[in-house]
Amino acid sequence: MHGPINEVIQFIDLNVYTITFLFLVGFIGGLVSGFIGSGGAFVLTPGMMSLGVPGTVAVASNMCHKFPKALVGAIKRYKYGQVDIKLGLIMGVFAEIGVQVGIMVQKYILDKWGQAGSNLYVSIIFVLVLVTVGSFVMRDAIKMKRSKTETETGATLAKRLQKIELWPMITLKTANLRISMWFLVPVAIATGMLAATIAVGGFIGVPGLMYIVGVTSIVASATELVIAFVMGLGGTLIWAYYGMVDIRLVMIILAGSLFGVQLGAIGTTYVKDYMIKYVMATIMLIVAVSRFFALPKYLNELHLVSLNETAVSVMTKMSFAIMCFALLVGASIILASLFKARRLEKMVSVNA
Amino acid sequence: MNNPTNDFRPIPEEDDLVDGPFLPDRQRERPFIMVVTRNGHLSEHVMDYAVNVAHRLSYSILAVHVDTLPFFKDRGKRSRLFAAAMQESAALFGAKADDKGVVVAHLGELGKIGSVVSRLCRSKKRIEFIVIDKGIRLEEVVRQSPVPVFPVLTNKQGLFNRTIFHHSTKKGVFAMSTTSRKRHLKHCFLFGALTAGLYASVFAYQDVVMTYFTKGGVFALLPVATVFAVSYFHGNFTSAFWSALGIEASKKGVAKRTEPAIEIKETVVAPRPDTRPRLQVNA
Repeated sequence: MHGPINEVIQFIDLNVYTITFLFLVGFIGGLVSGFIGSGGAFVLTPGMMSLGVPGTVAVASNMCHKFPKALVGAIKRYKYGQVDIKLGLIMGVFAEIGVQVGIMVQKYILDKWGQAGSNLYVSIIFVLVLVTVGSFVMRDAIKMKRSKTETETGATLAKRLQKIELWPMITLKTANLRISMWFLVPVAIATGMLAATIAVGGFIGVPGLMYIVGVTSIVASATELVIAFVMGLGGTLIWAYYGMVDIRLVMIILAGSLFGVQLGAIGTTYVKDYMIKYVMATIMLIVAVSRFFALPKYLNELHLVSLNETAVSVMTKMSFAIMCFALLVGASIILASLFKARRLEKMVSVNA
Repeated sequence: MNNPTNDFRPIPEEDDLVDGPFLPDRQRERPFIMVVTRNGHLSEHVMDYAVNVAHRLSYSILAVHVDTLPFFKDRGKRSRLFAAAMQESAALFGAKADDKGVVVAHLGELGKIGSVVSRLCRSKKRIEFIVIDKGIRLEEVVRQSPVPVFPVLTNKQGLFNRTIFHHSTKKGVFAMSTTSRKRHLKHCFLFGALTAGLYASVFAYQDVVMTYFTKGGVFALLPVATVFAVSYFHGNFTSAFWSALGIEASKKGVAKRTEPAIEIKETVVAPRPDTRPRLQVNA
């Protein structure tokens, strides 16, 4: 990310198809991130690249659209009293460090094994993290749904960690807990590292906040938006310094995603707590499947396995399609539960 | 004080009104806590505080809504809304007080807070202290008041915090404190136009914009500033857009958001052992 840019960057021409595609993906991605705190970004980078945008510009523009979206979402959810700003800022700063560490790891792997090795590393991290964390979150969501309790259960680890008095202790008002800084920092750094690797730090950040720090899923997903804002702003400044941001792409995506993020944030006020976990886990698991299909291509390039070209290209296409499907599923669960809850609330207020 | 188009009529201030028809005889001699607000709706935390204190001290409450802008130039609309809001606020306050068996008298007044307070304190003899709502300056009241004045501070105060959590089933009466759909529409058009302008200017001068925005270095601030502008204009537009369509946050969901507060257990300290030497007398 810090290296000199030797090649002349080609910025693409826009047409109706590109604009519609970016707007729609922006909207759906925004909807998901307004709801679970992050997401959508993992489809945008490959999506833009498939439109012919150079990789670096795609990553830079994606980063640049992420932080205003996170900002708008965070402000909206702050109005609902769901954001712990202090927690978000502290985590954001350390996540920024995590991003730098993540980039260094990436560079090391790139130097040692080349582009294909780096891609393989990214995909393996994708599958590993998403399957482990996703299934854990899913199990918890199902357990919560079955037990039908209103409050969050579990998080026994978090309860235990909160009891350990290690200087410096931090009191978080909105999250309503007190925990040592030493437990926040690893979560934040892991979030940053994941963000640098797969562009969605929230897949570690939100579960980390829920199970290690012990924040409720609503506050965790809202606070993740603050973290994403800090990380996104830092990243964007660096990318823009090298002149890689295509402002037109960013603005088109933002046009859609701000509609989405508002709706997603509104959605959180209607649904039960486990719904956020449920949507998040669903998306994570489907994306993991999608990345699994991307693995053969890189394995092929490294000559670890030998598959024929057509099979690989079909699998690569399938991988992208499944990724889009993940977002669509997430978005439709959110919209369905939002409108169902609205109908219910209206019926109740009419009867009352 | 007389506004012909004004639906809101202040109750004439005669002594017998407050401790006269409003109160049963046995309440007549009770001292009052005066609760003053200049908003249409009295904040709920002020209501709760007043009711609790009145209950504990077995006082009555005199709730005064002061319309500080009776001649506001909108053909009496503000005053009408104020009166409607006051009725709603009075109903809510009454319900809260009923639960605790506290008597509340309501009064609508016009004019400056300071003079209203001073007049009431002198005409109603048994006001023990005054509780003021958000939006009233403490000094303004203290200067004119012969009795102590208390503001109610809460950790829920702030720009975005609601002062009313009560959910009205009637539509429209809440207009005094909450935004109406018309306002959302206005915002929607205003910010929509601004957003459209911003987008149009960027895309009309694509070539110029792209040359400068991708120069790097200090020019990095250009795209960042632009997206901040987009997030402000477009963010407000999209927010007003969904609100204008009637898609707004759940009213129930807002109140419940954090885990119930954890009770702080006080550690029991064992009495220190008395280690002083004792003289034992063996007789």
